[in-house]
Amino acid sequence: MANNAEKNPGLLLFGAAFLVIIGVIGTIALPYFDEGITTPTETAKLKNYPADSAEARGRHVYIREGCQYCHSQSVRPVRADSKLGQPSLPGDYYYDAPVLVMTQRTGPDLTWVGQRYSADWQHAHLLNPQEIGGAGSIMPKYDYLSQQDRDDLVAYLLSLKPALKTKD
Amino acid sequence: MAQSATTALSAYPKGSATVKFFFYFSLFYLLLSMVMGLIVALKSVNPDFLTGSRFLQEILSYGRLRPTHVNTAVIGWQTTAFLGIMFYGVPVLAKAPLYSEKMGMFTAVYWNLNYIIGAASILSGYQTGVEYAEMPLLFDIGVVICVVLTFWNLFQTLVRRNERMLYVSIWYWMASIMFLGIVYIIGNIPAGWAGSGAAQMGYYYFYMHNIIGLWITVVGVGTLYYLLPKLSDRPIYSHKLSLIGFWTIAAFYVWNGPHHLINGPIPVWLMKAGIIPSLLLLIPVWSVLANVIGTMKGVWYKVSQNAPLKFLLTGALFYGLACIQGPFQSLMGPHAILHFTYWTVGHAHMPLFGGFSLIQFAAIYYILPRIAYRHIYSRPLMNWHYWLSVLGFIIFGFAMWTAGIIQGFEWMDGKQLGASFVEMMQSLHIFLISRAVGGSLMFLGQIIFVWNVYKTVKSGRLIEADDPILRKTS
Repeated sequence: MANNAEKNPGLLLFGAAFLVIIGVIGTIALPYFDEGITTPTETAKLKNYPADSAEARGRHVYIREGCQYCHSQSVRPVRADSKLGQPSLPGDYYYDAPVLVMTQRTGPDLTWVGQRYSADWQHAHLLNPQEIGGAGSIMPKYDYLSQQDRDDLVAYLLSLKPALKTKD
Repeated sequence: MAQSATTALSAYPKGSATVKFFFYFSLFYLLLSMVMGLIVALKSVNPDFLTGSRFLQEILSYGRLRPTHVNTAVIGWQTTAFLGIMFYGVPVLAKAPLYSEKMGMFTAVYWNLNYIIGAASILSGYQTGVEYAEMPLLFDIGVVICVVLTFWNLFQTLVRRNERMLYVSIWYWMASIMFLGIVYIIGNIPAGWAGSGAAQMGYYYFYMHNIIGLWITVVGVGTLYYLLPKLSDRPIYSHKLSLIGFWTIAAFYVWNGPHHLINGPIPVWLMKAGIIPSLLLLIPVWSVLANVIGTMKGVWYKVSQNAPLKFLLTGALFYGLACIQGPFQSLMGPHAILHFTYWTVGHAHMPLFGGFSLIQFAAIYYILPRIAYRHIYSRPLMNWHYWLSVLGFIIFGFAMWTAGIIQGFEWMDGKQLGASFVEMMQSLHIFLISRAVGGSLMFLGQIIFVWNVYKTVKSGRLIEADDPILRKTS
């Protein structure tokens, strides 16, 4: 029943690697040829923080504390996202490294959160989410962050808004 | 007597020191990931849980603990255990000793040091921010070194084999360790090197999907094909079907990354490139299930007498269900409702815990007597392990799926922000409690499992040289 190929581990591995590489080319390499992906939007330029700005440091705090595990940063053109603001475009993420789209919305989406709340609100909310957001909130208290970290984080959150530009 | 049995058996090509090292550490990670998962679940019920001291509040904060839980489950428990299974299975199927036991031990020690420090660094706040790939670059390099060493060791074992035919498990195992290398390297390329942000997402979701699809699934199906004929005492129903499964997994799984971004910020052509292969996945999944059903035909009664077989078949069932759920979720309509909800949490646990962890439990119950030369300490404890794991997972899974559906429809009703969002979360409270209850049962099951393994190694009944268990070892 068995043919020769089934006795040759080298041939088998070569064939399997070949199939996988085709998939890698299709899903990772081809997107580099899509203009929507390779062109930064006005919003992206707004989020291109200079190194060591408060926003850049705040983004680092956001990642370090794992905010992204509960808060997505992606508005989709679907009914479940209808109140979240304008849908995200591929080019909006041009300067993000890493991109923080993520996969969970245990808390609300933060793509355009900079439009919604003031700095004072954000500070108070980080210190005690249950008092500000509502007793049923399950967000942890971030009262252990240093003043500097909290200031930076709030600066980053406030910067999350669309560029004031032409309507589409 | 025991002494003579052990020496008589030591000629068996098992690489047993390496295998034991991997197995014992994997059990440690299993318990660790369960504790972390449980703390995460309890923090979702009460956000002030374990925040008494500043130190705990920071180290065990939800956003640091969750990625450590995921890594400890996937890289810590599952990958470590699968490496042990391969270090046992490849020499046995090749009828040859492991190429280098020294290299094997070195791999095992380096692997565990690397993982423990890597996980600790996530808890200390050094995480990359890319889901599933949170460990800093230094430890990614360590993982890749260990994978290359493992691949080389096993490949050289095969080159020196005394059995000409390569059983299908060898196919799956050797390909899986190669895939792990490819997926791990591509998936952990630092975000800043990839250029445009939207292009980076290709790497992230490629990794997130394929560390499961091309590593855990492939090595797990190989393990299933290894154990099924042994535990059921029947030959595999169809060799050809298992090969069809192999090539279709290799061809289709790799394309699935973009299905995590359906309706999201990527071009529509890329979504389609992710959705179509997701549907085609039904082919390899069905090939596995058809083979399981075909092999078991006429011998289903054995499930009631053989606890490892019970684990194995339940694992295959959950794997099948997860891969029916997957293509369904990848359709644009259901995805628009279910994505970003708790449904995903339930779905992610089904193949990893319900599917492949159960297959690994079966493998450890099968292999342990053959490397420790002792019978499993207690059968009733195996059954307790089984029922607590399965019932715990079912409670966990249905809590998450139901909560996810509610979330999705509440968002469509406009409860997406502010006070109405919190109101919606309050209605999910009971499901979050149910998840913690299911998770506690799962955890309890694993404590029983580890206790049973410990007692087996310490004081299980010794296997005599003429024990039938050894005649079946090959």
